[in-house]
Amino acid sequence: MPTQRLFDRINSVHLQQVTKQYGEHVAVKQLDLEIQGGELLILIGPSGSGKTTTLRMINRLIEPDEGVITINDHNIMDFDPVRLRRNIGYVIQDIGLFPHMTIRENIGLVPRLEGWSGQEISDRVRHLLDFVSLSPESFMDRYPRQLSGGQQQRIGLARALAMDPPLLLMDEPFGALDPILRKQLQDEFNIIKQEIGRTILFVTHDIDEAFKLGDRIGIMSDARLIQIGTPEELILHPENELVSDIVDAKKKFKHMDTLRVKDMMSPITDTYLFDAGMTAQDAVKRMTQTNVELAIVLDNSVPVGYVEMAHLVQQIYYDVTLRDIVEPIPIFSSNDHIASALEKLKDRGGSLGLVMEAERPSGLFFLNDVLLRLI
Amino acid sequence: MQVVDVWDSQLLTMRTFEHLYMFSIALFSATIIGIGIGIIVFLHPKIADTVLNILNTIETLPDIALLVLLLPFLGLGAKPTIVASILYSILPITRNTYVGLKSVNKEYIYIAQSIGLSSNEILLNVRIPMALPLIAGGFRIALVFTMGLITLGGLIAAGGLGTALQTGIYLYDVDTILVAGLWTGVLAVILDAVAGIIESRLQVRYGIW
Repeated sequence: MPTQRLFDRINSVHLQQVTKQYGEHVAVKQLDLEIQGGELLILIGPSGSGKTTTLRMINRLIEPDEGVITINDHNIMDFDPVRLRRNIGYVIQDIGLFPHMTIRENIGLVPRLEGWSGQEISDRVRHLLDFVSLSPESFMDRYPRQLSGGQQQRIGLARALAMDPPLLLMDEPFGALDPILRKQLQDEFNIIKQEIGRTILFVTHDIDEAFKLGDRIGIMSDARLIQIGTPEELILHPENELVSDIVDAKKKFKHMDTLRVKDMMSPITDTYLFDAGMTAQDAVKRMTQTNVELAIVLDNSVPVGYVEMAHLVQQIYYDVTLRDIVEPIPIFSSNDHIASALEKLKDRGGSLGLVMEAERPSGLFFLNDVLLRLI
Repeated sequence: MQVVDVWDSQLLTMRTFEHLYMFSIALFSATIIGIGIGIIVFLHPKIADTVLNILNTIETLPDIALLVLLLPFLGLGAKPTIVASILYSILPITRNTYVGLKSVNKEYIYIAQSIGLSSNEILLNVRIPMALPLIAGGFRIALVFTMGLITLGGLIAAGGLGTALQTGIYLYDVDTILVAGLWTGVLAVILDAVAGIIESRLQVRYGIW
């Protein structure tokens, strides 16, 4: 039986004086929060600050003890919880794809329960896989265990979008990924965020992620909302010591001249180093096993460039080695000044550089990342 | 060609069919009933202990005693044999179904709730599929029980391979005992192997890594 859509778009989600208590422990205390239609609001704070509880109260996984939560001025307690949840997309850190279902079945689960036809489900799944940059042909019929962490995370997002929900809840969706993959997925998400144009509540404990993705950021501590505002507001006018600690407001005084590439790079290990003679197919296999989506290609121990999973998967049916498809990458020394490195990147139009230390690749240098930290 | 002689004189082809006929009915019914009770006790945890205790009690009766106890109600032959097999085989299936449904990782239940599945949908789409490997384990135990009890049915004129064995024992005909006994054993091993393959398939398909 198809669930009626509760709302086509979100005007606002309103939490008024919401309190949730577990015995003596207060998880959320008299919280007032408004999520405006179309924005991506980040909730950030130390663990136990009540951010996840807040998120879960919005789709009634947790019910508040006091206070009212409304979506477009309708009290959510008036909705049937199952119906409410089908109108709200949900993505969690541990992904939670069902291991006994294929990717198609995982994404198409709720549509199937809603009585969609097989053809409609397949079309939708195809569309969503394209949307999260995974080729439908190679992924539809695979099981989650055959996918890397990053791919599973994308499927998690696709599943959340299956019913085209106007509101999306995301609970540290990139938290379990290694730092480089996390950055890649954040960049991708930033692009698709514009396309999906929905209201999103996003919980994280990573302030860089918050700055990168959030339209507004709410800072929570000890079950309370301390301050909410745009990144600029938080940095320039922190309400108290805690806020300025979290947003690291002092960093606006950091002087670019004193910074070197090694201060800003993301370190890499041997996992990221692939030999140029490797076939694209083997490279995809190894990336899936080791859970990386980007690799530095070495020819006789000399770095010649990089390859990305998204490009490699398109090449696995051809007999190509990494040497044939490698993308060139600018190389920096770990002691280079940030300013000169940025200039070099800018000239070449790239967004990524490789950092060498004592003839060995030691890290990656992301343009976006550096700019963000220099706000 | 003694084997062929014994086979023909004891009508072992027919006995095998009788045997498999009773075996299939008993195992099929026990599976349906066992899974059914397993699901019911899972949904009503308050009665779970009581029901499992009753099934346990049945299980502690020696199989031959159970068979004899049913005689006054069901007479001689296939009927009490099948009923005894079913009663005996429900426990392993019910117990594994119950444990299987209960022990599905909470995280999957949680995510199913959060994407908007009702409790019935969670049972059908998440719990039951994920419990299948364990249920298959119970089914395999039940298969061995059923095979034993159907053979025992020979004692009360149920037909099947047990009848040939009984004849062999009464006449002290070593050839018959050997042929019928070995054949029953081989059949049991084959059926168990098939169940083993099903179990491992389900494990691969629905198990967790």
